[in-house]
Amino acid sequence: MTVTVAPEAFKFVSFDAALIRRIAEQLVAMLGIDRPVHVVVDETTPLARVQVTIGDTITVSVESGALEDTRRPTSQSEDATAATIGRALLMTRDRLHGGFGEAPADDDLTLAQVSAWSTYCAGRLSRLGLPISQQRWRYDYRNRHGFTDAADATFDRVWSADALTWAELMETAR
Amino acid sequence: MRKFLPVDDLARDERFNQITMRERQSDPRQASVAPSDSGARSRANRLTPALPNASDSARALMHGIFVGEIQALEGAGRTCHDFETGTEAPFALKLDMARQAWDEARHVEISVKLSEWMGSEIGQYAENTVLFEAACSNDPVLRLAGVNRALEGLAIDVFTTMKEFGTIAEDPFLEFCEDWMLADEVTHVKMGSDWLRRITENDPERRKKALEFQNVVDKIFSYGGTRSDSEESAIGLARRFRELAGFTEDEVEEVAELSLRALEERKAFAAQARAAASVS
Repeated sequence: MTVTVAPEAFKFVSFDAALIRRIAEQLVAMLGIDRPVHVVVDETTPLARVQVTIGDTITVSVESGALEDTRRPTSQSEDATAATIGRALLMTRDRLHGGFGEAPADDDLTLAQVSAWSTYCAGRLSRLGLPISQQRWRYDYRNRHGFTDAADATFDRVWSADALTWAELMETAR
Repeated sequence: MRKFLPVDDLARDERFNQITMRERQSDPRQASVAPSDSGARSRANRLTPALPNASDSARALMHGIFVGEIQALEGAGRTCHDFETGTEAPFALKLDMARQAWDEARHVEISVKLSEWMGSEIGQYAENTVLFEAACSNDPVLRLAGVNRALEGLAIDVFTTMKEFGTIAEDPFLEFCEDWMLADEVTHVKMGSDWLRRITENDPERRKKALEFQNVVDKIFSYGGTRSDSEESAIGLARRFRELAGFTEDEVEEVAELSLRALEERKAFAAQARAAASVS
């Protein structure tokens, strides 16, 4: 599947469109994405929001902070690029093929639902070999589901799951 | 041992990447960001668990606290060493700075543990060295005004916001640790307030100069409106704790006005930058 990146050259940040494309191509192959992917980077803001539009082409719109090396502002991080695009593509794959038909639209997801789904994605990406900090996601999950042993147990189940439907994900995270 | 160590000579291992305030401000993307742009669905931007990016923002702020504590330790330690006892700084002042260095060292350790708890690594974020730069004045009174009153005052605001974050999220460690560190910060600010008044009791010109310096540092650390009474600011102004730390009501009002002005300036600047970007 083809991967395109816009812009081709960056003025505000030291990002490399070819590197973004290469990482996205590897992820597309790894995750079995079945349609073209277009990555649009908004380099005018250091924020880190990500939006996905699913059509004949999957468009992943990311703000530059989501691909940035937090140690060196304005520089690109390969790990962050892979984790951000990987999570966006996995959520897309879930929506297209994984029994996520009844999942609310992205803007309608609650913070707890976002956290559970992100954890589910992060766990799978970690098992695919991407460098993902489990503790980071555990902390995010605890903020949304509680700082309790029970919440930690559901986090562990969501993290290690591989083929959940939306209903199963919500049940597991309960 | 060398006196008056410049900021470039601070000892750090390879995990750290230091940047100056100037470098931070030269990032062209910062111009377009207004304080209320963090992803909140309303204008409210106070750092609480209700923000969509709450966990990552709290982790970044925690790392900022961690490197701030290192620099505060270095600043208090340098004040013990840089000035001659008696002629330049009273022994009791140095004793207070030694006590503060002890507190800051403990805070560094606590911050490392909290960062691990939140899923960050040492050096994961760039270290802004502006705190130590404020501790490089060659007048101990200016250092106390800039570091103990302005910067430690900001620490009171930051710790109060983080403690509230921990309370709302029901994060037992964050709430507990921030509360205890906050108590120390109130003491540090009180030391600054007391020494500033005591040393400049008969020297109104030196006091004026020190308060002006504090004002400058306060303005720099208002971070373009990141800290103010407004809910649009990520960090609130901890009025009650500032009063406990020896700030008069007028002085608290002055910081509040300065911070709100910085917020409004930042918003206007961001609006201009966006307008310019949409034209081009």
